[in-house]
Amino acid sequence: MNDLSGTTPRKGSEAFSHLGRSVEAIRAELGIEPVPVEAIRDPAVYELEREKIFRRTWLKVATDWEIPEKGDYKVKELQVADTSVLIVRGKDGVVRAFHNVCTHRGNKVVPNSDFETFGKARANVVSCRFHGWVFSTDGPLRSVPMEEAFGKLDKACLGLREIACETWEGFIFINLADPPEQSLADFLGDFGKLFAGYPYAEATSAFRYSTVLECNWKVALYAFSEGYHVPTIHAGSLPGFSGVEHSDFKLIGPHASSTIYGLGMEAASSTAVFASRLVANDHHGPRPDLLPPGINPTGRQDFQFELPNIFPNFLIHLAAGCGYPGIAFFTHQFWPLDHGRTLWEGINYFRPARNAAERVAQMHTNALHRNAWLEDTATMEDTYQGIRAGVIDEMQLMDQEFLIRHAARNFDAHLAG
Amino acid sequence: MTDTVTLPGRFEDLAPLVATWARPTENARSKIRWSAGPEDFSDFYEVMLPRLPEILDYLATVPLEGMDEADTNLFCLAAAFAEAAPHHELYGGSADVPFSFSARRFVPGHGDVPSWETGRN
Repeated sequence: MNDLSGTTPRKGSEAFSHLGRSVEAIRAELGIEPVPVEAIRDPAVYELEREKIFRRTWLKVATDWEIPEKGDYKVKELQVADTSVLIVRGKDGVVRAFHNVCTHRGNKVVPNSDFETFGKARANVVSCRFHGWVFSTDGPLRSVPMEEAFGKLDKACLGLREIACETWEGFIFINLADPPEQSLADFLGDFGKLFAGYPYAEATSAFRYSTVLECNWKVALYAFSEGYHVPTIHAGSLPGFSGVEHSDFKLIGPHASSTIYGLGMEAASSTAVFASRLVANDHHGPRPDLLPPGINPTGRQDFQFELPNIFPNFLIHLAAGCGYPGIAFFTHQFWPLDHGRTLWEGINYFRPARNAAERVAQMHTNALHRNAWLEDTATMEDTYQGIRAGVIDEMQLMDQEFLIRHAARNFDAHLAG
Repeated sequence: MTDTVTLPGRFEDLAPLVATWARPTENARSKIRWSAGPEDFSDFYEVMLPRLPEILDYLATVPLEGMDEADTNLFCLAAAFAEAAPHHELYGGSADVPFSFSARRFVPGHGDVPSWETGRN
């Protein structure tokens, strides 16, 4: 199913040596043995993951288009690393990340009300509400009320504590290691090249959902990492979805990718009317020509979306309008809150609607996809409970579950390192 | 109630549906949907589906910014139908997606933002 022989790959795809590998070759690399579930069940493994993965790896925390203007910021809670992160665009236009911690006594500089909070820094400063210490959006401590009463205060050393922050294709990543072991570009490697070039930043119209799941984060990640479940789990929301094929697996260092092909579903009557507003024009409709050349390299007409697994907790499903009507891409992210609790975030990205009809058509697509996510998330707490029951020690994985096998193997490798 | 609802001229007959279904935010529309029964979905569907092409043709001429009250009402009604139609077409009239996670536990980041505002993304 990964065979490229007899086809003419799209120009540029020849640069990717990961393409066109056979199932046999991937089986030979990853094995076909069952995979232990102990890494999901054991709280000690989670503690190791916090230390050896989440505190040392590049993590996507924001996008460029979430904080487009100088002074725009996002506060992201990272329970997995016991910190709150302030991502802010400085007056020089540069995005930086800081621990959201006042260097006075540790209070949060920017208070937040949820797992993530957006705001705008007035005059390019943020000030701690506890005692009014003022920091520039590029980090330095600018002023301290009653400074003379401290006797001695070296303000030059008391700026916000900066976190390594780099951007790829508009996605903003941080790395809590000081310094990181590698650059973001080196970390993403060929994956960054495979997915580069799509105009992600043009799809700024987002519908975002989140929920807290009572399960280990890898249960949620794995549930969204395979297409084997589509005909069963989605029998309700995607009736008649035919010819689902999850193939074209690419193993790219700690990352992996794959493709969902399919003939799509027979649209319900209302969907046909709504979708007609999105699929029949170049602004929202299928744009396979915009896909990077290594994605759908043979230009199959039944391409639905690319499904990668970006180490350790991020998925970008790149559709370019070819799958769900009008969806440019959608993302999932899985944030551990503790060993058995996970914050899931799912976001559908569209190009901005140009009129009210396009907007309601997007809302219909979004509702269908949200409802499919409700079907997906239905399994996760049950799966985790089942694993905790202790009656199975292994997952049995088939070929469409290669991404799970690959991810589990990478997690093991990082914990051993 | 329907006397106070304004709609663009040729859609004035839909005013009773506006009172029942049309709300500006996803959270408000979800609450209405969650308390609806099969007949509610069916009645809504039977009226709206035949009118949908005409409604969308009209809304295609309406910019999202600066909608007047009549256009806003029609937009909110179409939005409600966009979200409610699958319950009639796919879920047998159930307010819940069958065999699914609780929709009440899904938090839309945009849930309280009027749906014509694309807001922060």
